[in-house]
Amino acid sequence: MSAYLAFTKKELIESVRTYKLLVLLGVFLLLGMMSPLFAKFMPEILKSVDFGGMELTAPEPTAMDSWTQFFKNVGQIGLLALVIASAGIMANELSKGTLVNILTKGMKRHTVILSKLTVAALIWAASYMLCLAAAYGYTAYFWDMGELRHRFLAFFSPWLLGLFLIQLLILGGTLFKTFIGSLMLTGGVVVAMSLLNIIPKLQRYNPISLCGDNTALMTGVKDVSDFLPAAIICALLVVMLTAASVVAFDRKQM
Amino acid sequence: MDVLNAINLSKSFGTEKVIDGLTFSVPEGSIFGFIGKNGAGKTTTMKMALGLIPADGGEIAVCGERVAFGRTDANRHIGYLPDVPEFYGYMRPKEYLKLCGEITGMDSTRIKARSDELLCLVGLSDANKKIGGFSRGMKQRLGIVQALLNEPKLLICDEPTSALDPVGRKEILGILRQVKDRTTVIFSTHILSDVERICDRIAVLDKGKIALSGTLAELRAQYRADEFVVEFATMEENNQFSALIKPTEQTETSATFRTRDMRGTQARVLAILSQNDLLPLRLEVIEPTIENLFMEVIL
Repeated sequence: MSAYLAFTKKELIESVRTYKLLVLLGVFLLLGMMSPLFAKFMPEILKSVDFGGMELTAPEPTAMDSWTQFFKNVGQIGLLALVIASAGIMANELSKGTLVNILTKGMKRHTVILSKLTVAALIWAASYMLCLAAAYGYTAYFWDMGELRHRFLAFFSPWLLGLFLIQLLILGGTLFKTFIGSLMLTGGVVVAMSLLNIIPKLQRYNPISLCGDNTALMTGVKDVSDFLPAAIICALLVVMLTAASVVAFDRKQM
Repeated sequence: MDVLNAINLSKSFGTEKVIDGLTFSVPEGSIFGFIGKNGAGKTTTMKMALGLIPADGGEIAVCGERVAFGRTDANRHIGYLPDVPEFYGYMRPKEYLKLCGEITGMDSTRIKARSDELLCLVGLSDANKKIGGFSRGMKQRLGIVQALLNEPKLLICDEPTSALDPVGRKEILGILRQVKDRTTVIFSTHILSDVERICDRIAVLDKGKIALSGTLAELRAQYRADEFVVEFATMEENNQFSALIKPTEQTETSATFRTRDMRGTQARVLAILSQNDLLPLRLEVIEPTIENLFMEVIL
């Protein structure tokens, strides 16, 4: 336990001193602010641009437009930033050899994995919550929020998807020992899941759909049963990937 | 008691058999020089002892505890200094040592006391910048500190001096000699003068096996002097001398004798010298160096 705490503390210090925490908080704060602002001022932007005499009019924006922007931004730029910032989480240490000193001190290998997952999950949670708070604040300021149905599930789902990606990066880094290997595995899985998502029947089981039609869940167009299976599968996959990473790391020659 | 015991160890990488039936033991309190050519399998053997890579066959025990690949339990007896120790560059030395200490379950007062003591020993007391800005030699010294932090019974150093300048090497060897009283030291190297300077026991690794092992004194006695050199100032003197007694080898101004009967040969040479009024520049019995032994066993 003391080893877990010590290494977790080291991971936190690392994220601060290598500016990973700062960059992620910054990016997500920006995304959180951008989403409602973009939704609010889109019609005016469209109005001011000259499309060669053709006039484009957009309907009066609503709070839901803001949330649509929010989930789109988080799901695309946000997750991409998260993946790039976290891709070295295991790979950097293995390729540099910094874990050799630590492991030969008697630290259990699985503790390394759990510790890294803990801190990455916390940083992701903090970044995402900052993003959500900013988006929520601006949206509430510009519009009447109205009723947001199943808001916990709707807002929690993207975080869960992000956690899945982080654990994929940990497994990739453990298996391939390189930043690129880590990214390739994660990218490969995301592409595969996106392809699967073309099949409508599979969408409700596919973790990638956890950051897509979340506004439909809040407006009641979609139901909890359209999201919950994917969320449960995603959570199970996180657990399985963690176990796989532990097993892979136990067998890794250093 | 033996701190480390390796029995019939073997390890291949692909089709290449690096370690082949390796058996050796390291008694407590020794400085054990682990010698071999580059690629002889020194690092591989050490990593197997640390459970960092699996052995294909045989077993290793550290302080009586069997080492298993991927498990780190036996490592609590060991301090390890890799050939190129890697640290977290964004940390300061004391922060890093605190992390190491906490991992091994030391309490904070002891970590503080040991860190100060060891940093002073290696001359890093005043180095408070981030490790990222350390020189190679400083990293090597910090590596020794982290390895010794929790007072391990066994210190394993992988070529600790290979990459250092002469001053740095001398310092590292001095530190190793100082810790000898409390810790058994295994250190691998291919620099034979380092071995002669501090080791009391050596093993030469060649073709995956121990080609030669024992205490330095034993080995010196076993491969006793059998070479005797007489050197003259001029070639004429040398020729005159060599005409009277045939040397094994002759150069311009020196004659070398290789013999089992060192005393008899010396007596005869001295008699001839005095009878013929020949004054040599130098008379020397050649002691076998570790280098000679090393060359002899691996070639």
